[in-house]
Amino acid sequence: MIRNRIGLRARRAALLLPVMLLTGCSSHKLANQFVLFRPSGPLSGADLHFTILDVGVMLGIIIPTAIITIYFLLHYRKTNTTAAYDPHWSHSNVIELIVWAIPLLTVMMLGYYSYKGTAAVDPYNPGLLKAASKQPVLDVDVVTTDWQWLFIYPKQHIATANQLVIPVGTVVHFHMTSATVVNDFYIPRLAGMIDIMPGMRTKQVLMADKIGHYQGLSANFSGAGFSWMRFKTEVVSASQFNDWTKEVARSPLHMNYAQFNVFARPTKNVQGKTFEYSQVSDRLFHQVIKGVMMGRVYTTPLPPPGAA
Amino acid sequence: MVHVQGPWSPLLGRLSMGAIPDNPIITGAFIFAAIFGVLALAYVTYARKWVYLWREWLTTVDHKKIGVMYILIGLVMLFRGFIDALMMRTQQLLGDGLHSAGYLGATHGYLVPYHFDQVYSAHGTIMILFAATPILVGIMNIIVPLQIGARDMAFPYLNALGLWLTTVGAALIMLSLFLGDFSHAGWIGLTPLTELAYSPGVGTDYWMWSIQIASVGTTLGAANLIATIIKMRAPGMTWSRLPIFTWTALSTNIIALTSFPVLAVALGLLGADRYFGTHFFTAGMGGNLMLYSNLFWIWGHPEVYFVILPAFGMMSEIIPTFSEKALFGYITMVAASFAIAGVSWAVWLHHFFTMGAGPDVNTFFSIATMMVGIPTGVKVFNWAFTIYRGRSRFDTPMMWALGALFMLLLGGLTGMMLAMPPINYSVHNSVFVVAHFHTMLMVVVYGILGAVSYWFPKVFGFKLNERLGKRFFWYFTAGTVLVFIPMYASGFMGMTRRLDYLSNPHLFPFEVAEELGIGLYLVSVYYFVAQLFVSVRDRNKYPVGADAWGTGRTLEWITPSPVPFYNFAVTPRTHARDELVWRREQGLEHVSVKHYEDILMPKNTAVPLIIGALTLALGFGLVWRIWWLTDLSFAAIIVTVILRSFVKDTDYTVGGKEVAGIEKGLQARMKGAQASGLPSGGVGGLRPQESNS
Repeated sequence: MIRNRIGLRARRAALLLPVMLLTGCSSHKLANQFVLFRPSGPLSGADLHFTILDVGVMLGIIIPTAIITIYFLLHYRKTNTTAAYDPHWSHSNVIELIVWAIPLLTVMMLGYYSYKGTAAVDPYNPGLLKAASKQPVLDVDVVTTDWQWLFIYPKQHIATANQLVIPVGTVVHFHMTSATVVNDFYIPRLAGMIDIMPGMRTKQVLMADKIGHYQGLSANFSGAGFSWMRFKTEVVSASQFNDWTKEVARSPLHMNYAQFNVFARPTKNVQGKTFEYSQVSDRLFHQVIKGVMMGRVYTTPLPPPGAA
Repeated sequence: MVHVQGPWSPLLGRLSMGAIPDNPIITGAFIFAAIFGVLALAYVTYARKWVYLWREWLTTVDHKKIGVMYILIGLVMLFRGFIDALMMRTQQLLGDGLHSAGYLGATHGYLVPYHFDQVYSAHGTIMILFAATPILVGIMNIIVPLQIGARDMAFPYLNALGLWLTTVGAALIMLSLFLGDFSHAGWIGLTPLTELAYSPGVGTDYWMWSIQIASVGTTLGAANLIATIIKMRAPGMTWSRLPIFTWTALSTNIIALTSFPVLAVALGLLGADRYFGTHFFTAGMGGNLMLYSNLFWIWGHPEVYFVILPAFGMMSEIIPTFSEKALFGYITMVAASFAIAGVSWAVWLHHFFTMGAGPDVNTFFSIATMMVGIPTGVKVFNWAFTIYRGRSRFDTPMMWALGALFMLLLGGLTGMMLAMPPINYSVHNSVFVVAHFHTMLMVVVYGILGAVSYWFPKVFGFKLNERLGKRFFWYFTAGTVLVFIPMYASGFMGMTRRLDYLSNPHLFPFEVAEELGIGLYLVSVYYFVAQLFVSVRDRNKYPVGADAWGTGRTLEWITPSPVPFYNFAVTPRTHARDELVWRREQGLEHVSVKHYEDILMPKNTAVPLIIGALTLALGFGLVWRIWWLTDLSFAAIIVTVILRSFVKDTDYTVGGKEVAGIEKGLQARMKGAQASGLPSGGVGGLRPQESNS
């Protein structure tokens, strides 16, 4: 009988074994994949800082609670005749005080962290990253379509599709809109997400601390081509950036509003193609928003008859 | 009317031969459903049970049977939603990496994006609104009148109507599999993706109308439950003696009654955009897409508390029973339930912190969200102190309740993380969020499965097989751990949600783990079915008495098992909280009745079923824009409701002698006598009369 129960327990534990196997995957390559633990900018760094704080505080409550509960379950089980049994005891002012106080104090502490943390990362905090860098601020306009990214550098009169290049250690101001539906601007190692909405302009502010390649993506579902809606982000040195802008300014492809309307037709960027455009008006962003506000849509075609 | 893409004719609307999908997966699903349906119809015909089915189930207004049907619909839809989940997991496994192969016309994996998008949209819509909600409503339907000593709900006819409207919503979703497609825009239906320009097909219309129709049912049911709890408590059942599950049912239905109308407005305005060409939520022409998000989540957040509060109530019933001790801190548990319900109204923006409301607004909603953690934390501690100095047993219902408690700890931890904007900005719309809310929904599912195994003997008169139930529990838990713990991890790898193709090949080990996990769920489904089969087969071997678990505490455990259609032969008088414990201690557990009075019961009626059928026609016509069908069915519904309102004869009397006979028979059965055949008349005991319309 006891052997049976042990065998049963061992079999149950074995069901959870595959999870434990996952902890063995500690190769350097896999560890590198946890991008949220490898911030490359002050905003992502702040995100990680508050994550650790929050988890630490909450674990400090949850682990003791779990341990106490398991202890009570085992010690006061029916088969343990030595344990006290008090069927009518169901009220204690002292315990009530403690069980209300612990969550209340925790929430007060976490609320304070939330207030501080939000101010540290919210792009609509006017003081965010002000004077964080000696370099001049770079402006980038972002337009999303179904299902590609267009990055316009209004002062440099250039634009790139599905690829973002920014200089290291420079504060970048993004103004974003969508030509179609809502997307989310997200570069995991550099900054948190912000919605991109059609007919509206949202903003993001970030700075990258390290040169390198990063992945950018849209985190808000926008339709059939959503899975391919990624963009490469290159953080380069300031001089490399200047060289790059001059090179793009020589690109044979141009982008005006009419050409944008062609670019914005529903396209799944399965091959991950990037393009570079020169002679881009600094009014293009404004024209896109205006067009959408006046009712311009880039219609999704009906699936063919018999489609699932 | 507004211009739509594709064909439209006055007779058939947008319906055409092209609406029938030409896809092997769907063809397979159709064959499966058709075989199952034909077999079911054939069995009913062969066993000559059509009259029985009509009289005892389709036209019933008995709250217990309505509850059982709610639960059955919920379980069927739970299974469908589970298949959707299986398909999603498999697609993400097969479609991981640039070099992953593509099958059946897909670039990667086996589902083209448009199909995958419908699968995850259906999964979300079904699980929340057509699996969890009906099962919870069903359990509340069955148990609340029993716990307060009432014979039925306040409005039995309305109760049946709510059931059939929910069924119509589920039927529309199932129809969307075989005629046309479903929404590709998620269960939330964010705008402007769900506007005609970006969702030109009928899918979004199916989604919209199935939810609208089912929501009417839920709202009516909420009004019904609130009225029942306030007005129909038996003598002596004061507010401070009300069982905790009934208290949570009250708070949850106050949420439902006040929040579902907001959803109706949100979907109504979207419907206006899609049918009349208005610009409430479009990007241009003065529309404001953020308004939809706000309206939807003003409903959406109270909705998730609507599903979790009954689960908390179920845990608060099960844990004291299997600890043989009173619930610790009854008054604070009640206060906490209402605090949760109240604060749930002030937190909706945490679903879109990234929409750019600014640090002040985001901080307000962040702190409000974290404040909900206070009463929730109090509940966890109170459950722990209920176990303290009790005598805990680990029967299947207790295992589910304890599993729910530990799920709550994990879900609460990750919830407090998501409540903080700096964390939220980096994990919003990632699979970390998906894992969090699934963990919270697991609290609901564990509560439901615990409640089902706990109250099953009361409703049907025999227990579920304990050995198979424990296997079901363990495989289900192993599946839960293996699917969602890797999901938390991959959220921190930057994996976002709703992707049919994953470009990061390093996600592969996590995808494999999750697929194994869902395989374990599949095994648990086998044990669930096996448990039902074996329990029904052996039902006459182990009949249970009134107090099926031996340590019941509340009023429902004094009725015979199964409960006769009139619930209580004599309306009970309540003397204390945990009335049955009080009676046991006073030696009053077995009270004999000298004289049985006549009992007034509501008559059966086919009107809710008829209105349901007409609403199905209305919904179908609206989806396919068949205007003559919508006009006709809408008019017919109004006429039916008006005609029914003239029916005065809606009750009948059961004579005292008859009640005495039924009670004698049930007592004999509970002493180990054989009972035969399918349940009839209140899921136990015979009911003598016929129905009217």
